[in-house]
Amino acid sequence: MSKLTTLTEAVASISPGAHLALSGFAITRCTMAFAREVIRQGIKNLTISQCVGAMDSDLLVGSGSVDCLIYGGGSLDRFGRLNCVNRGIEDGSLTVEEYSSLSVAFRYLAGALGIPFIPIRSLRGSDLMVQLKQRACSDLANITDPFTGEDWPVLRPLLPDVAIVQVQAADEEGNAWIMGPRWDNTEQVRASKRTIVIAERLVSDEAIRQNPERTVIPGLFVSHVVELPYAAHPTSVFKAYDYDAAQIQAYVEATRTPESFQVYLDQYVFGVRDHWEYLERIGGLQHLNSLQADPVLGY
Amino acid sequence: MDFDYTPSELMAVAGARELQDREVVAVGLGLPVVASFLAKQTHAPNMTILFELGVIDPQPVDCGVGLADPRVWYRANVLSSFVDILGEVLHRGRVDVGFLGGLEVDQYGNLNTTLIGDPKGKFRHMIGSGGANDIASCARRTIIIMRHEERKLKKAISFITSPGFLTGGDSRLKAGLAGGPSRVITDKAIFSFHPETKQMMLTSVHPGITLQDVLGTMGFSPVVPEQVPYTEPPTQEQVRLIREVIDPLHMYMGKD
Repeated sequence: MSKLTTLTEAVASISPGAHLALSGFAITRCTMAFAREVIRQGIKNLTISQCVGAMDSDLLVGSGSVDCLIYGGGSLDRFGRLNCVNRGIEDGSLTVEEYSSLSVAFRYLAGALGIPFIPIRSLRGSDLMVQLKQRACSDLANITDPFTGEDWPVLRPLLPDVAIVQVQAADEEGNAWIMGPRWDNTEQVRASKRTIVIAERLVSDEAIRQNPERTVIPGLFVSHVVELPYAAHPTSVFKAYDYDAAQIQAYVEATRTPESFQVYLDQYVFGVRDHWEYLERIGGLQHLNSLQADPVLGY
Repeated sequence: MDFDYTPSELMAVAGARELQDREVVAVGLGLPVVASFLAKQTHAPNMTILFELGVIDPQPVDCGVGLADPRVWYRANVLSSFVDILGEVLHRGRVDVGFLGGLEVDQYGNLNTTLIGDPKGKFRHMIGSGGANDIASCARRTIIIMRHEERKLKKAISFITSPGFLTGGDSRLKAGLAGGPSRVITDKAIFSFHPETKQMMLTSVHPGITLQDVLGTMGFSPVVPEQVPYTEPPTQEQVRLIREVIDPLHMYMGKD
């Protein structure tokens, strides 16, 4: 069954207050076009989760769309920190559940497997654990191993309402390929109630059936498929295009104050009608062509 | 000596020397990337480098801006996931060395990358854990590499992101964690940890640095043995590799 739709329609399926798992990692395969459309449609009070906080989360937090962030820390690599996320934590406007990468991955894994909790060696002795335990309705507890009698921290599963995953290619049913490392994406999809796939390009059902071992996301988890080139811009998509260093630098500068970030939003989010106008705004085909990945290097 | 090297280059070389051939190394952001690539290209060709997001044994030709940069994944043997690398390799107990940078470290090797200031009052939030807490909790030993400054080597750090020896003695074991930090490498000296108290212990001082330079610029007193040797300086070949092959754009090594 074809689930092919527009970004506008896919985003309109998100309810205010929903819990979204986003596929970004720092400055790669971030759900940027999706985030910009969420902001334009004014969908708010979201909970966002991802193992390592990335540019898609930071943009949504900075725009005031997010109430709660569940993550394992994060940055924009050498370009800078997640200024909007950090400001939200510092001034108390953002509720944050802060873990390590593996803790969040294990929470997705527990959700994917349908098990009630998952033990973990990490977090012991750290202030991350102290902070998590102080929360009302903490998602972290301790349990005695029934076989050895050892004490183990255990984590509650994460069950997001929707996973949004930026991929290289998918068919109309949502069977999708992710080239390169997948970080938490496979577990995010399987833990979530449903998934929106945003594909750089659409491939035929036959292309999927010729290479079924490449299918990382089975269509059965997917509710919407959107074909949208450069949808992760200014972050990278392995084997498709490189990150846009100048645009990420401009973002980092813009996020230093709420006032300068509003100017950024007006220019790149509210000031464009859709993703196509955004691509024109950042320099159009000539500029995008300079970001094209080398087929051997993948960047 | 007929060539120069910078403090950052000495740190990277000292870090590389801690890594042995055939070891499995979980590598964090920053200087650990340079040190582990240097080891791999010199004395440890059979070492396995892991990046948390799902990268095993890459062979980059370009220096990247961080773990999210496809430049550092280039020619990897495996591209997989967090559950694979941090779960089935690290959490399973197959990582020999965790290699981490940090903002603040205390005398027991506890590491802070989360926030600077008072967590209940005014603070600045930084990058947080990523895989650092997992690596410090699960690796057989951990190497910490950071700048030698009083505001970084502190008696009390603002936040324990990644566990070292916690409050010293057997407190780490009691918390259910094996392993622990084995070295702290700064731009002035190298430290290990006292076998019983688990306090930081001076192991060597870098050439051209005095004992007073080391002790006067840290917030606590490390154990100082009677004899403290000088750190072995880098070889010309190691410095050449860092400058020409591993980090030609000075993304990690700074401009010092």
